[in-house]
Amino acid sequence: MELFALEHRGLWRRTGVRVCAALCFVYCVLWGCVLDYQWLDFGSSDYAASVYNNHFDGYCMIRTYKAQAAACGDTMTERTLRRMVRDYNELGHPGLQSKADWVLAETYLTVLYPDLDDPDTFLPMIYYVDGAELTDFYGRRQQALERRLERERQEGLLTAADVAMLLEMDSRVETPWRYEWAQGWDYAVGSLGGMGRRTAPFLAFALAFVFSWEWHSGTAPLLHAAKYGRRKLALARIFSGLAFTAELFALVAGGRLLAQLVYLGTDGWDIPIQVTDPLAVAPWNMLQAEAFAMAFVFGGMIGYACLVMLLSAWGKSGVRSLVLALAIVYVPDLLEGYLPRWVQSALEILPLVRSANVIYRTDVYHILGRGVWAPYLLIAVPVPIALACVPLAVRQWSRRQRT
Amino acid sequence: MELAIDRLTKRFGGKTAVDCVSASLTAGVYGLLGANGAGKTTLMRMLCAILKPTAGEVRFNGREAAAMGEAYRDVLGYLPQDFGYYPTYTVAEFLSYIAALKGIPRDRAAGRVRELVDMLGLQELAGRKLRTFSGGMRQRVGIAQAMLNDPQVLILDEPMAGLDPKERVRLRNLLAEYAGDKIVVLSTHIVSDVEAIADQVFVMNAGRFVVHGTVLELARRVGGKVWEITVPRAQARQWQERITVASYRHEGEQAVLRVIAEERPSEGAVPCEPTLDDAYLYSFGASEAGR
Repeated sequence: MELFALEHRGLWRRTGVRVCAALCFVYCVLWGCVLDYQWLDFGSSDYAASVYNNHFDGYCMIRTYKAQAAACGDTMTERTLRRMVRDYNELGHPGLQSKADWVLAETYLTVLYPDLDDPDTFLPMIYYVDGAELTDFYGRRQQALERRLERERQEGLLTAADVAMLLEMDSRVETPWRYEWAQGWDYAVGSLGGMGRRTAPFLAFALAFVFSWEWHSGTAPLLHAAKYGRRKLALARIFSGLAFTAELFALVAGGRLLAQLVYLGTDGWDIPIQVTDPLAVAPWNMLQAEAFAMAFVFGGMIGYACLVMLLSAWGKSGVRSLVLALAIVYVPDLLEGYLPRWVQSALEILPLVRSANVIYRTDVYHILGRGVWAPYLLIAVPVPIALACVPLAVRQWSRRQRT
Repeated sequence: MELAIDRLTKRFGGKTAVDCVSASLTAGVYGLLGANGAGKTTLMRMLCAILKPTAGEVRFNGREAAAMGEAYRDVLGYLPQDFGYYPTYTVAEFLSYIAALKGIPRDRAAGRVRELVDMLGLQELAGRKLRTFSGGMRQRVGIAQAMLNDPQVLILDEPMAGLDPKERVRLRNLLAEYAGDKIVVLSTHIVSDVEAIADQVFVMNAGRFVVHGTVLELARRVGGKVWEITVPRAQARQWQERITVASYRHEGEQAVLRVIAEERPSEGAVPCEPTLDDAYLYSFGASEAGR
């Protein structure tokens, strides 16, 4: 325990680590969240091409969006959709780039009512669609979902058993869906889900040197000759790295949650995720989705931290460890489309490669012949990765040098 | 207590750094002498069980040191040649950290740190960050960390490097006192330091022990072969090319050379009392010794 405390203190006293944590907070919370709420995402727009021309009025606009959505009722039916279309046109086409729920209405129209699309116009459907034709909302949704699953089955992405599993999951989604202004929650859950990837460079920089730096600074022989300088030191260092990861997560997730409470409040937590993506099959509400995203990001960061520390223990070069650590997250993206699908799927299992937004998708992995919905697998995978990395890293650090 | 080196060999690719050396060390100070690249550091790293030998083994009290793991490292103190440190730590913080790594309980560690800080003259510096230290100051911190756990086997690779003459004397006395019932192995380029404190001296060349024995025994090997000659300054260079010159000083227009030669080198040569320096040079010639 004493060693752990010393290692933990030693990690935090490194200037590079403190700068990483501060930059991570600025990037993921101040820039990537608070400014989004107040300016870049939720600030009102004068139809300028860039979000940087938005007004700095997100807090007030969020209240306006909520009021507009409240006027459409508290359940999502064809009547709500008709009202959205009518309001949009009556308000003089306020634009789909705002965070009012018009963009959701447009999504419903394109996904559920593709037959009403006029190929002769470039205008969004919400401009011209006839409200009287918007009928059978849930029936249309069921057909659209079944069409999509069937298409994926024909493409070989899903088996018949997968389709049955996903439809069974979908059958637990309660209808009619509760409705409130959803763009705020959509942003909160979506951007939180991608937070893990944003923290990756900072984690990599902070942890890639935990072991390899000792070779650079010439302290490795000193540590290796000390009684607890091998296995126990390696364990203490790995756990202090994990504690740092948890603290970084708490700093960033806590900051984001605080901003969310200030800007969005708590109302809307119980609307189903289908409100923001009508073809999602998970029977979850926004709070559950956010909890999943939290666990997903936390697990991913822990798994990734273990991988980075393993790389650090493996080689004597910190720069090489850093480059490899960054490659874990970013190379699968770069190679997307160039690799066989099964290789791509395997790479996507690695921590932080995918975002928690996978809950909106119908991806299924096949493990020992059994279909597993992707989010369940992806949230579990960091655990065995961490469990495998810890003893390997300890072994790598502890073994006697050959050269 | 015995530290046995049994046919220890280390090869790096095609190069043999340590070539089948054997020795049995009991309590006392052992000096390791040799030119750069003679294999001293590699041997010391194997003695500390941080480098895996290609062949042979190190045994402590009959048990293989590497297999003893923590139990061996518990009785070991080591100062590496290029002593690494954490620049943002103060002396006290650094020593406390190493004490924790050595498994010394916190309450005992604090006292031991104070004791070593006093012994090595670091009192004034204890609160300063290591990055502000000179090489000699850092070297003293390195020696302190090696002695923290009161080790039975103390291995010091170039401990005198960077120390001023006063600190060297202080360290020599400290080690001589410390080695009463412990094994101290030290390597150095400064032959006089070994001469002053070592009970046994091992001279290494090309990975082998070429000579070993007490200082007296080694010096005796060159008895009758050390001379002092006085020559005109203009001839000094010719003498250096012909014969091993241990030292050279000017006296007016003359050069006084201390030379090592099997036979009296000139009519005027005066025989001298041999030292370990002379024995070292005699073992493998001035050019190799100074390489």
